[in-house]
Amino acid sequence: MDSTIELASAFIEGAPPGELSDVVADVQALTEGDDIIPSLLPAFERYNESQLTTVKLPGSSQEVIVSEFNKVEGNRYFDPESQTSFEVDHTAQTASAAQSSPLESQNTDLIKSLLKSLGNHAREHYSNCSYGVYPIEDDSAVAILLVANRYSPNNFWNGRFRAIYQVPVSSSSTTVTGKIHVDVHYYEDGNVALNTTKPINISVSSVSAESIISRIAAAERDYQEELNRAFVTMAEGAFKGLRRQLPITRQKVEWEKVGGYRLGQDISGGKGR
Amino acid sequence: MADAQFDSALDLLRRLNPRDTKKNLQAITTIVPDLTEDLLSSVDQPLEIRRCKQTNRDYLLCDYNRDGDSYRSPWSNEFDPQLEDGTVPSERVRKLEVAANEAFDVYRELYYEGGVGSVYFWDLDDGFAGVILLKKGVAPGAQSSGEWDSIHVFEATDRARMCHYKLTSTVILHLASESQALGEMDLSGNMTRQVEVDMPVESDASHVANVGRLVEDMELKMRNLLQEVYFGKAKDVVGELRSLGSLSETNRDRATQLEMIKSMQK
Repeated sequence: MDSTIELASAFIEGAPPGELSDVVADVQALTEGDDIIPSLLPAFERYNESQLTTVKLPGSSQEVIVSEFNKVEGNRYFDPESQTSFEVDHTAQTASAAQSSPLESQNTDLIKSLLKSLGNHAREHYSNCSYGVYPIEDDSAVAILLVANRYSPNNFWNGRFRAIYQVPVSSSSTTVTGKIHVDVHYYEDGNVALNTTKPINISVSSVSAESIISRIAAAERDYQEELNRAFVTMAEGAFKGLRRQLPITRQKVEWEKVGGYRLGQDISGGKGR
Repeated sequence: MADAQFDSALDLLRRLNPRDTKKNLQAITTIVPDLTEDLLSSVDQPLEIRRCKQTNRDYLLCDYNRDGDSYRSPWSNEFDPQLEDGTVPSERVRKLEVAANEAFDVYRELYYEGGVGSVYFWDLDDGFAGVILLKKGVAPGAQSSGEWDSIHVFEATDRARMCHYKLTSTVILHLASESQALGEMDLSGNMTRQVEVDMPVESDASHVANVGRLVEDMELKMRNLLQEVYFGKAKDVVGELRSLGSLSETNRDRATQLEMIKSMQK
């Protein structure tokens, strides 16, 4: 049973974007008879926090992020924009018991203006996303998070874009460090996954919301352009090098005569038959 | 419930990262040991290479040339580790197998310009069946790599002067790239397609040509499909997640366009 919980936990944490409930159903079928889901709670929590799962605030249509950076205690998380804290059911991915919770930080002004700039940037480039800015590390730094999901299960694809940045707050310059992850899953008559991780490390000369977000926006743009180029490089490089579309002769194989071919003689010559 | 569990196992493997199929398969069969045999024979994994001791040529390992812990070389027809009474094809089908290995060796050189291939045939009550395996890896740059595995399983059922072929083909394609500017990028997966067709048969030699054509057409189709999904679809989804251009400008342009269409319809 211990090993089953460990193995099933890895399945939960490995669920692709938008397919957690499908993976849960499969895990339940494979472990029939045992009510394994309660034992998998830590795995659900790790999945939600690392995948930046979004939940609807009770009584609101707003989707807010669940992460290690806005955890208050237990299953309670905090959203600075609406100044609300809420209880998360990690298995169901829902929020409840919302409470007013004012933002308490020395950097309240910076966080508020970061949220405003980040919101403008998000609306310009993500048609469906959630974001947050949180005080971290004893209020000495802020975390800037953004997650964009697109699910199209009827067309057998789902995708997720995550950006996680940390910025130490100081009086002069600072460095934004973090990671961008892009995960795409396509599963019509197959299973194809794109998984990327791009480390980010940019210095910002002044600790102002506008300069931090504009540097982040530029880094995200540069990365997307680089990723688009990588698709072309892979298609033209590794993919072409694996299997030709047609033989060098541009002729299909003459299967009736193929026994008569002698490797290394007729073939390399191409026309020497 | 065993059938339902089998379906759930396949569904799970279709969802979890295709890079980890081997590990996940092991995990599933640890949880439900009864599924082991069925899953091993229906889930395709990247092929392993072994060198034939008799001929010094490389061949590929799969469930179809396995007997116990031994694998049969298509070049020598011998098992490694040696088996006294390992299952081998009948004399007629082995002859076909030898001819098919020769033919697909030419095919491999023409399309793959390298790599390893193996063909295994076995007898059926009303015909025969076989698997054509092709594998190639490349590393075009220090930080980029690719691996292609083709697995074509067919059944040939004899009919009067005709033969009915049923072909199931899977291609496993792993691509990875890494650089300072790009970070890490992994584009991996597998796709499966099936085809059934009747083709005329004059002699046993026709079988090799028929199967050859079927596999050649299928691989061309699948290569195009992989190209579309890996470099078209995946890139499009990234564009759906994040728009390079400004969304407010795109929306403004769209609104202007709609206005123009409306005014032209008046």
